[in-house]
Amino acid sequence: MICRTVTKISLNIGYLKLILLLAVTGTAMAQGHGPLYGLQTPTLAKGGVDLNVAGMSLGTENETSYMLRYLFSYGITEDLQINLTTPTMIERLGDAPRTRGNSNMPANGDIEASLWYRFFSNAFGVGKRFESTAIVGVSAPTDDVRGQANVGNSVHAAISTGYASRTWYGWIGGGYQYYFEKDGEQLGDLLYASAVVGYRPNIFMGDYPKPDWRIFIESLAEFPGDNKFDGQLDFSDSRSTKVLVGPSFLGLYGVWGISFGAMFPVVQDLTPGTIKEKYRIAINLSYWL
Amino acid sequence: MKNIKMMVMIGILGIGRVSGQIAKVDQEVYGMDCAPCAYGLERGLKKMDGLQEVRVSLNDGKAYLGLADKNGLTLRSIQEEVKKNGFSAKKAEVALMGNATKEDGQWFIETDKERFAVSQDTPTELIQKLAVGRTSVSGTVQDEEDDNLPGQWAIVLSKII
Repeated sequence: MICRTVTKISLNIGYLKLILLLAVTGTAMAQGHGPLYGLQTPTLAKGGVDLNVAGMSLGTENETSYMLRYLFSYGITEDLQINLTTPTMIERLGDAPRTRGNSNMPANGDIEASLWYRFFSNAFGVGKRFESTAIVGVSAPTDDVRGQANVGNSVHAAISTGYASRTWYGWIGGGYQYYFEKDGEQLGDLLYASAVVGYRPNIFMGDYPKPDWRIFIESLAEFPGDNKFDGQLDFSDSRSTKVLVGPSFLGLYGVWGISFGAMFPVVQDLTPGTIKEKYRIAINLSYWL
Repeated sequence: MKNIKMMVMIGILGIGRVSGQIAKVDQEVYGMDCAPCAYGLERGLKKMDGLQEVRVSLNDGKAYLGLADKNGLTLRSIQEEVKKNGFSAKKAEVALMGNATKEDGQWFIETDKERFAVSQDTPTELIQKLAVGRTSVSGTVQDEEDDNLPGQWAIVLSKII
């Protein structure tokens, strides 16, 4: 028993090392320059390319998942951005909570294409702007069964609005993901909201091209619906409620960016049979071409 | 000292040349908050033919541009590049040489591709120094709507060289 535990811990540390190594040596980057988990607003410049690689882990009371994710983003115009993200699942959860990995990426093994449209932008000062962005996406699973239900394709839509400056940042947003039925079973949908506050201390106010760091406090509220089995397509109104809070850090230097952070549940009001979460951690490396 | 150098440069460029062009632009940029933003703008500007020096400052919110001796750049194209990167181009400090003309009491400085109307906010003593013909000036070009950039700009002169 002790041997198994020690082996599992060693294996987990090994996975973490692998994630970090791959993230650091990866040739891509991901998140843009906003928060790690919450919805954000910035879009790429016209013709801009952003490559990301992210390592994510989610721990429940029974098991832990490890995933690498790659994201390619392209700025069609300065307000319209297309994204494609694919996963490499290292360790899947047998009973995976429905959640988003972050604003650009699913948390589970889905391949997702999305479109970001920044429909409002008001730059009103040096380094300052208000902006709002709408997101729509479609995804296809790489696994057949998730949480004892067949996994179908899904659609995702979200909207976020926020403020950016050289010192303070803030975003709020909400989204919805809907899974289609597959072979008489349907994964529960996901309603969620996020709020993020960011701050850049004075010591990191060095001018470009000096390194630039900021810290975020991120929060997520998630309301996943129950799975539906045996072709009973009328969902009951029962939904779980989860609230997670945690810090994340973003460092930028020239064309490189690295962000990392963790979230911890502070509220888990779950429907029967839903698994409890313990933590989420993620690291993301970005490169702007 | 910098201004003197710029004046000398513009003066030298002005001798024996017929064409009018912009020599220097300090472009105010709103909404640029991070290093990748600055990098993107710097890279975009460096791709433009005719720019000799490009420096972007996040803290100043400005792109400092030195234009080549012979360039076909316009202030409009520079501000369009700023917009393409998702930011808003505001006022610009410019140094330029061109032909001064006077129409119905209104002074204009014309480069090969753009026209600058001398604003009434220009100090009277400077306006009085203007003479029809070749001239080199510096001043502040007023902000225009990013989505509707004009071919004619309003400029408040600060120096006639």
